Amino acid sequence: MATRIQFENSCEVGVFSKLTNAYCLVAIGGSESFYSAFEAELADVIPVVKTSIGGTRIIGRLCAGNKNGLLLPHTTTDQELQHLRNSLPDQVVVQRIDERLSALGNCIACNDHVALTHTDLDKETEELIADVLGVEVFRQTIAGNILVGSYCTFSNRGGLVHPHTSIEDLDELSTLLQVPLVAGTVNRGSEVIAAGMTVNDWTAFCGADTTATELSVIESVFKLREAQPSAIVDEMRKSLIDTYV
Amino acid sequence: MNHRRPSKRRRHSRLQRPQPFLGFSPFARSLFLTSSCSSSNRHSRDRSLSHLPSESNPKHAVCKHPTPTKRPSSVSDDDEDNEVNEKESGAEQEMEIIQADFGFFDPKPGDFGGVKLLLQNYLDNKPWDLSGFVDLILEQTTVGTVVKSDGGDDQGDEENDDEDDVYAVISALNLGRYAEHECIHELKKFLLEACGDENVKKKLRTLLEKQANEVGLLVSQRFVNCPHQLVPPLYDALFDEVSWATEDEPTQELRDSFRFKCYLLVTRIYMRKKVDQQKTVTSPDCNEAVVYIKAEDEIFQELSSFSFTFRLHNEQLVPYELRNYNLIGLVMVVKAEAVPKFRERLKSLLAES
Repeated sequence: MATRIQFENSCEVGVFSKLTNAYCLVAIGGSESFYSAFEAELADVIPVVKTSIGGTRIIGRLCAGNKNGLLLPHTTTDQELQHLRNSLPDQVVVQRIDERLSALGNCIACNDHVALTHTDLDKETEELIADVLGVEVFRQTIAGNILVGSYCTFSNRGGLVHPHTSIEDLDELSTLLQVPLVAGTVNRGSEVIAAGMTVNDWTAFCGADTTATELSVIESVFKLREAQPSAIVDEMRKSLIDTYV
Repeated sequence: MNHRRPSKRRRHSRLQRPQPFLGFSPFARSLFLTSSCSSSNRHSRDRSLSHLPSESNPKHAVCKHPTPTKRPSSVSDDDEDNEVNEKESGAEQEMEIIQADFGFFDPKPGDFGGVKLLLQNYLDNKPWDLSGFVDLILEQTTVGTVVKSDGGDDQGDEENDDEDDVYAVISALNLGRYAEHECIHELKKFLLEACGDENVKKKLRTLLEKQANEVGLLVSQRFVNCPHQLVPPLYDALFDEVSWATEDEPTQELRDSFRFKCYLLVTRIYMRKKVDQQKTVTSPDCNEAVVYIKAEDEIFQELSSFSFTFRLHNEQLVPYELRNYNLIGLVMVVKAEAVPKFRERLKSLLAES
């Protein structure tokens, strides 16, 4: 199910939260209603952890993670690192990395199997991503934008990309990621998809400005209507999925 | 997070292309011939103002704003000017001279994201129907202006300009006309709660409740580093449109709704904190009691019938030079008769600086 929420007066919920299949990070300082929206959906299933990164609230754009691990920028303080290590499940590897491009959430888009990264990322970082997150890494651009982490978001079941992505690019990405993709917008026409929403395999949170059309596209491409959290098992994709039309 | 900072892609892009002369009406021509200030000012970032009459408002065939100085005459003139630019930018290595064009447009639905970003902190951090408020501004196309970068004329296969950054927005909303909207309701409530002084609160309450039909909420917001040359035309545009609307609107009711008796403004200023005397003497920084973020607020405050300030709750990032100052909210009520004086003083204030 997709829910519309707001952080203070901002509809950029993907900036202030990070949602994966194993945990959810939420920024501190927003009103309690932001936190409780996540709790209401996720409390029984995965831990919802309040945190800051480097003293800031823009945690969704600074970190990148999936059910296997979480990557944090070098600006993360030791206390924050320790807090996250304590609060997240043991199987999640929390790692702070030294990368010049410190807004990892803007540079890396990933699900549990594949990651798309900024073209200028260090080689060591790429290896760390493959190691910690347990994914195959591809350097890509989305509609000519190098900040792949900002302009697309995908789960294990589907993905949403920048509205100006061409059909050829959509095809190529879909083959790489092995999930159906759709080019669309969020928050009434905003192209910065990952800032406007956050998603995992069974639920999504979108900004309050998201129109009903955008919401229905999101629910259909991420297959949220039938999904149940208990049904999430590590699946190997057996069939090749072509472009979602 | 979803806006791009104004890019510098226009740097020297105007070198080769001759500028279209937009002074086709007698009004624009006379304005063009009399304006002369900005071309002489080469020490800071050079701006040229341009405008597009928008399709949605064809009755205002008169160009909305005067074209300034540089455009006019011939290509060679333009080139010469630009050569001067280049030499200067060679000589002064600290100051780069960048050409930028701004267009003044009627509000349209595609501007939602940009305008919302500008008005993010309008009512401090109180959660309110900001989206509804932005919608009201965008729906009122007859009175209201949005400033965006203007490259539209010369680009052939131009994409929808939904992606253009909005640099400034200005509008005047009749509080009575929109009284049923949730956002106006919340705004009135916020202002009444924010007001500390009982007397002022009484006056405010009368204005907001009984006299709401005669009050125009003047919404004006822009990026902090917007060039000051934009400001007088922006306010001229607004007040001119308000007076045109009193004649041009289709129904009598609408015409009357623009006959404002006064304007209500909600804005922000920096006020000096109470600091020890010893510290302030040695500080080389700002010494004034109040720093106005938008220059015109100073004029408004002098001309206002009453005003009050209120504390802001959300975290502020205060620049180092202003560390002795607090950012506070300011609400002012200005009578409509004071507007011509305001326009004069605004022009002279910004022509000097």
